[in-house]
Amino acid sequence: MPASASTDPGEVSDLDLVKRSQSGDTRAFDVLVTRYRGRIYAMTYHLIQNETEAWDLAQEAFIKAWRALPSFKHDAGFYTWLYRIAHNVSYDWLRKKKIQGDGEFDDERTEHRIAAGAEATPRGDPAPDAAMTNAELGQRIQESIAKLSPEHRQVIVLREVEGLAYEEIAALIPCSLGTVMSRLFYARKKLQEQLHDVYETSI
Amino acid sequence: MKHPSEEHDLIRWIDGEMNETERTTFEERLKLDPVLATEARQMRALSASLRVHLPAEMKVPHADYFNTQIGVRISQMAQDDARAKQTSPGFGAILQWFRQPWFALAGAAALAVLGFFLVNTASGGASESMILSSYTPNTNVQARTYHDDGAEATVLMLDGLDAVPAERKVSGINIQRSEVEPELASTTMYDTKGIAVLMISRDALGNPMLTPRG
Repeated sequence: MPASASTDPGEVSDLDLVKRSQSGDTRAFDVLVTRYRGRIYAMTYHLIQNETEAWDLAQEAFIKAWRALPSFKHDAGFYTWLYRIAHNVSYDWLRKKKIQGDGEFDDERTEHRIAAGAEATPRGDPAPDAAMTNAELGQRIQESIAKLSPEHRQVIVLREVEGLAYEEIAALIPCSLGTVMSRLFYARKKLQEQLHDVYETSI
Repeated sequence: MKHPSEEHDLIRWIDGEMNETERTTFEERLKLDPVLATEARQMRALSASLRVHLPAEMKVPHADYFNTQIGVRISQMAQDDARAKQTSPGFGAILQWFRQPWFALAGAAALAVLGFFLVNTASGGASESMILSSYTPNTNVQARTYHDDGAEATVLMLDGLDAVPAERKVSGINIQRSEVEPELASTTMYDTKGIAVLMISRDALGNPMLTPRG
């Protein structure tokens, strides 16, 4: 599961903040919001591909977490617990969107371009195509992600962004391990098709 | 199309999920299958690009406002909870009637009868409402409500409801407040004009009885 944010030695621990929040201390909860809002927002944004909706859903996740705090047992890390809530909130939204027949998820997509390397910490090999700038490739990838189905986008985000193991993805969705692998295969295959000009010329 | 096991092998190789033996076997296979080898390399490069270009943390637009709004909503929830506790003690018990199986049978003749209670939570006449309870006799229908801030409206979602004929009239009652009469074990509900519109009481057998008023 996603690990909690690294804490400075002098920083108040999640455990202390959660305990204070559970006793009704909204300032302690505000510190938790500040600590994790960037990660929760990134997850909702990658899943929803709409800045406004992602902002609202991230907020909804924190509010749901506040309401559910009395039942939080500390047997899992706070971020792991919060992440599950945010994931479920986002995925429920996607399912509703799908049920309503709105197949296109990028209709109201705002121009929220992520400058490569600006807010992200590169964790892999450099982009393959030297002719294409990082920013251009980043934009192409975001556009391609937006075209995936909710199910495919979900596994890509959980695996590539959050680095979850197959078992963790299967437990979170929930589905079988085989389904996780199949969805990952077809999601990557679709991305590969959309970005074929990038990868076919560089490999 | 590949056999699922081939797809899974490819995915597990890309993600480094194979043990040493599996990896060696798969890479031997790649040497013999240039098409598969090309696909594997391209997919691995794609995966690496995704990890670079999909940040795990992003700057939240209007971050301070983000936090403030959460604080406001938490404060509102606390106020709502406090108001709910002040609502008459008999009201919750009466609402339980709506969840009784026999009541579902009584309403089964209707396509979907909805018991839906709105109580204005702001005594000063503000426009926020609180959903106390909802009920659908048809167990295949799930009622959910939420407040749409943009539309300044309470939205009712009926999941699982069959198509409603266009000629069927759908109406509701906006309950502004309620008064409980403990001696009579009844609750009278008033609309926004203060007119009594509905009374919930029990009949001789103790079953709930809804009586339109006014």
